[in-house]
Amino acid sequence: MLGAYITLTMMTALGVHYVISIIVSIFVVGVVSVLLERLVFFPLREAPPIQDKVAAIGILLFLEALAQLIWGPHYLQMSTPFNQVIAIGGLTITLQRIIIVITAVTVMILLWLFLKKTYMGASIMAMAQNRDGASLVGINTNKVAMITFFIAGGLAAIGASLTSPINLVFPGMGHLVILKAFVIIILGGMGSVPGAILGGYILGFTEAIGATYISNDYKDIIAFVLLVIILTFKPQGIFAREESK
Amino acid sequence: MIKRLLMSFLLIPMLLLAACAQGSSGGDGSSSGGGDKVVTLGFTGPLSGPAASYGEKTLRGIEMAIEEINGNGGFEVNGETYTLKIESLDDQYLPNEAAANAQRLVQESQTPIIFSPHSGGIMAMQVFNEQDEFIIAGYSSEPAITEQGNSLTVRIPPRYDGYLEPFTEYSMERFGTKLASIPTVTQYGQDWANALLPHWEAAGGEVVHESSVDFSKDTDFFTILTNALESNPDVLFIGGPSEPTAKLAQQARELGFGGGFIIMDQAKLDEMKLVVGDSYELLEGSIGTMPLIHSEFPGTPQFVEKYREKYNEDPGSEAGYHYVSVYIFVEAMKAAGNVEDAKEIYAHIQDGLDNLPEDKQVYVIEEIDENGGFVMTVRVAAVENGEIIEITAD
Repeated sequence: MLGAYITLTMMTALGVHYVISIIVSIFVVGVVSVLLERLVFFPLREAPPIQDKVAAIGILLFLEALAQLIWGPHYLQMSTPFNQVIAIGGLTITLQRIIIVITAVTVMILLWLFLKKTYMGASIMAMAQNRDGASLVGINTNKVAMITFFIAGGLAAIGASLTSPINLVFPGMGHLVILKAFVIIILGGMGSVPGAILGGYILGFTEAIGATYISNDYKDIIAFVLLVIILTFKPQGIFAREESK
Repeated sequence: MIKRLLMSFLLIPMLLLAACAQGSSGGDGSSSGGGDKVVTLGFTGPLSGPAASYGEKTLRGIEMAIEEINGNGGFEVNGETYTLKIESLDDQYLPNEAAANAQRLVQESQTPIIFSPHSGGIMAMQVFNEQDEFIIAGYSSEPAITEQGNSLTVRIPPRYDGYLEPFTEYSMERFGTKLASIPTVTQYGQDWANALLPHWEAAGGEVVHESSVDFSKDTDFFTILTNALESNPDVLFIGGPSEPTAKLAQQARELGFGGGFIIMDQAKLDEMKLVVGDSYELLEGSIGTMPLIHSEFPGTPQFVEKYREKYNEDPGSEAGYHYVSVYIFVEAMKAAGNVEDAKEIYAHIQDGLDNLPEDKQVYVIEEIDENGGFVMTVRVAAVENGEIIEITAD
């Protein structure tokens, strides 16, 4: 949401090109995210996990109210230089959508490579498993935490900036995806990148196929019934790590 | 440690609540001590959340009217000069919140009139407004709000069933008889569809697809539209807030839909235009309510100009209707010789309509019917060759 607003403000107020605006937005939201880590989540590191979540919801409400204060409650429109319509065979699609798909895949691959192949990525994974353990083997946990939050903020900015031309920019736009994102994470298993990808596909496909072949009015029910079924058999999510905790 | 934290989590909101309650009761000003007396009007509507934009536009109309009236030295009732004040509370579009807000407004500020721009909130307030004696100034074209026999409800905009005839006739004649219906999933949208579809079929049309779109959950309308367009409709029935509705129309065009749109009265053609690239080209063949800026009532140009100056954008009908309503209520209070008794004021609304100065007539409202609905000619507009033209309805 914040990412979309910053991209939009860059484009409208300063007349910067869409792509450059997105890059600026990634940095700004990344920095905001790091600040939040320092101010909110770092002091809570010793607290039970539920308090992180409460804090996250608090931040969500705060940012939403802040956006309404700064930019107003109105629907804003983000234009994109890529809104040509392309028809391939019987398939009609806009260029913006193709860009979204390609960027999403690229970013996913880059993220996965970063987590698996770099030292920094390995540190993040180590810290996610056990903060004290990571600290013991010489990982600077503060630095890693900040980098993690920067990446998370940056990814959020990319996502918001790319999808807003399809929809609209308004303070409550995050609600559209937040529940779905949560479902996807649970479905795929906490902390697993392939799980998140697969979870996303499962949810997306059931919604679309359910809407087409059964009824659009029931698509949420179909998706959530599937969620219940999957969780009945795999309570940890599809790709949950075998970890004892 | 954990307990202490938990306790503080609980305590902080409680303290905040207490502070809020104190702040608002301290700010109570139904009648200030000096020479000028103040009449407080109430408002409960969505000021945060997905419908915040809509709520704010309605509130702006009220605020503009109040500013003007107070700027001109207030108004005189029974030899005493009064000024106006608005007390606005956020209900996030929720009926239960609207009811709670109304209780608060009546108890704390003794508001004789409470504005609310959504049918759910209006109905929730109708449960007790007669006992608590306040007028509900309801901004909703839902006919049900004035069919309950509530003696203190005013329905400001025209009821939507007045649109069925001209919308059906025009679209069927210009595009054909196959209709796909994808209104918004709200109660209001469903009621609209339930009124339109039988009418369409009675007029000899065929409903080829029926579903709905949830603007608070759906990020992308391609799936819904692909399914709707599968059955080759000539006309799409869409509606909801202007901006997402415009996106829906735009995506329908992207998918190659060449027919017409019937647009629910909640969405406004001029606001939709801004979303789809500041041109009516994409909306060719749409039929909907006449946008305020294209209306030609005596008070419209003046209001549009003032609004543009103040907010730097075009006003919609929400602002216009609320603006004119405040003036009507002021005239009604003058005619009633009373600023507190809701029943007296309500009984003189017709006088208020008759006495309304011409330059304030942003809309020309002829009369109030026995159920409390404002009666006026329904204005319908269609997009032809990229321009808004008026369609005359019988």
